[in-house]
Amino acid sequence: MKKQILAFLLAVAMVLSLAACGNNDSSTETTAAADTTTTAADTTTEAESEETTTADEEINLRMAWWGSQTRHDITVEVIEMYEDLNPNVKIEYEFYSFDDYFTKLKTLVASDQVWDIFQLGGNFPMYQDKIFYLNDYIDSGIVDVAGISDSYLKITQDTEGNQLGLSNGLNTYGIAYDPAMFAEAGVAEPTETWTWDDYKNAAMTITEKLDIFGSSSFTTSDFIAGCSTYIGQYGDIGEYSFFNLDHTGMGFDDPAMLTPFIQMRADMINAGAYPDAGASTEITNIENDFLVTGEAAMTWVAANQFPTIYDICLAEDRTLKLAPLPRIKADGPSGAAIQSSQMLCVSQDSQSKEAAAAFISWFQNDPDCNSILQGERGIPVNNTVRDTLSASATPGQQVMYDFVNMVSGFEMPEKINVLSPDGQDLVQDNYLNYIQQVTFGEITAEEAAQKTYDDASSIF
Amino acid sequence: MKGAAIKNGRMRSLIYNDNTVGHIFALPFIFGFISFSLIPIVFSFYYSFTDYSLGTKTAEWIGFVNFVNIFKDEVFFKSLLKTLQYVVVSVPLKLSFSLMIAFLLTRKSKLVTLYRSLYYIPSLVGGSVAVALVWKQLFARRGLFNTVLDNIGLPTINWFGDQNLAIYPLILLSVWQFGSSMIIFAAGLKEIPTTYYEAAKIDGAKGYQSFFRITLPCLSPIIQYNLVMQTIAAFMSFTQALIITGGGPNNSTMLYGLYVYNQAFKYNNMGYASAMSWIMLIVMSLVTMVIFKSSKLWVFSESGD
Repeated sequence: MKKQILAFLLAVAMVLSLAACGNNDSSTETTAAADTTTTAADTTTEAESEETTTADEEINLRMAWWGSQTRHDITVEVIEMYEDLNPNVKIEYEFYSFDDYFTKLKTLVASDQVWDIFQLGGNFPMYQDKIFYLNDYIDSGIVDVAGISDSYLKITQDTEGNQLGLSNGLNTYGIAYDPAMFAEAGVAEPTETWTWDDYKNAAMTITEKLDIFGSSSFTTSDFIAGCSTYIGQYGDIGEYSFFNLDHTGMGFDDPAMLTPFIQMRADMINAGAYPDAGASTEITNIENDFLVTGEAAMTWVAANQFPTIYDICLAEDRTLKLAPLPRIKADGPSGAAIQSSQMLCVSQDSQSKEAAAAFISWFQNDPDCNSILQGERGIPVNNTVRDTLSASATPGQQVMYDFVNMVSGFEMPEKINVLSPDGQDLVQDNYLNYIQQVTFGEITAEEAAQKTYDDASSIF
Repeated sequence: MKGAAIKNGRMRSLIYNDNTVGHIFALPFIFGFISFSLIPIVFSFYYSFTDYSLGTKTAEWIGFVNFVNIFKDEVFFKSLLKTLQYVVVSVPLKLSFSLMIAFLLTRKSKLVTLYRSLYYIPSLVGGSVAVALVWKQLFARRGLFNTVLDNIGLPTINWFGDQNLAIYPLILLSVWQFGSSMIIFAAGLKEIPTTYYEAAKIDGAKGYQSFFRITLPCLSPIIQYNLVMQTIAAFMSFTQALIITGGGPNNSTMLYGLYVYNQAFKYNNMGYASAMSWIMLIVMSLVTMVIFKSSKLWVFSESGD
């Protein structure tokens, strides 16, 4: 009989311990909150943003972003700084690589638990339901936009003028390269108006002479930076774009326009001048890109990534340079666009939207905060912050500022579309796969172009 | 008074009933099964007829559209074929390897337990992300294997760049996790009466003869069990493909589980992914059925006809 009672108790204990597992989260939160109270005691700094709420009310915010290790380190530093300034605010942060970030985000969207503050790029249309517009907070002054000019506010607005978030910075795509390797291979350095033929020839010669990749790969971003930019370089300025401006269909009608680009890529992969699929998977972030490891002479970058790799290479006595993307014709359109690198948004699921908005405002406008962030996410949109940072720029950052200035001097169409419609991920993966099929000789570049076009048009 | 006593007595016999105790013990499992398996299974069946997506969170009934689209999807066929290749190559390799090790470890030696534990370790860590990353590094262009090849003057192999080769490192990783089937084989080997071997020895049977005539037949029910379990596990492989190759090159390592994951979480087609899962269920049931049906031909049972 005793045995049976014992058995029953054990079973109950098991059920209870199972339930306890599920509750783990809340217990850690309580300890975390206790921590903040201790810090609260020795900080007396007043915080403007909390005037609307009770000063001692605990606010827990969740925040997430993607990026490189440098970004993780400085963002965590800034978050700790904000917690010191606002003792009642506790920010739980998570960071991921690009792909993992969006996988996680999708599951949170499904369970209505999106982080209070989250980072989004040009693919925001897919998540727009989850974005809480900042318009009201801008009107009430919780989000301070005094230092941000209208044109910079516009880059993170939708077509109806809703403020989706505040931009983390401006950027544009470019090709980073090592001039010493170009010299060693006897290849001329890129110019402002170099063409894809120049690019291909340079890469091929470098591979032949130095036995390294001519250019490193940009993995999935290749679709936007490469293939999509390429279409914009046809005809007159603004005549073509990959998707049309209002996201209702394609921005060009002849699939054959994609063929030369796909053919060039396949030729380069076959010649060993561009990483094949296997080598591409070895690149996990910009810090171990083949240009950085010395296995390639060029790589694709978003301008804001440049200072990071510049500094790493400088430590090895290599000085990198930054060139614009090649064009189809030297006197043709550049296809380039100055865009928002990413933005911070407030989520619809947030319990403390106001506190989240206040943090975003501080993040983009505060000089101390940005002196840590150093424009790593892109050139800051706040005028004062931008002027301060560019005045004290490191050599790598100076290259970035000069580069973005130069590209903004290029002739650009009045309206551009840099957004990714829902469904682009599949098009992108298939496109990269078709290129591999071309390299293995399974299909021709024409067929790959046709298939990519069909995939893309089937989104709509 | 009397009534209460009877009630009390019934209560006691209910609590002390073996069935009740059993169910209470099974409760944690039943709870887990219902909430983490049964409910998701029912939902996925429903979703496979809808266009459910994690992004929009709306599920509209679209009938068999998902299934029709799946049969038009070239990546689906490729991933199905590659998964079959993976299963057909990795499972027999893994079983023969684990049987070999188990056989070697039946010897009477004090260190046997230690060795068994050591050989079991890969099974504990093998499915993890960490080991997948190590594997990726080992077979990388400048990884350990290529460095060794290079040092002894052989040409290096671009494992993950060649669509015909890329799947073999994944197969090897699966073979390396032979521990659980090894333990089961070891237990099975112990069950074979030594008298059989002694009798065979007296009749002059050689080592390999007694292995093929005694060990294998006596072990065949265990082999069947391991075969079924490992086949099912191999069909569901996912981590290796996601971490090591991401499915490439040219989808040659796009294992079925990875493609389902991509459709569900990357391309936002949860309905499509659910439909794919049900197709996999049918394929797996067919394969398992074939193994069971064919077992009459090769599984030896002592009580049998």
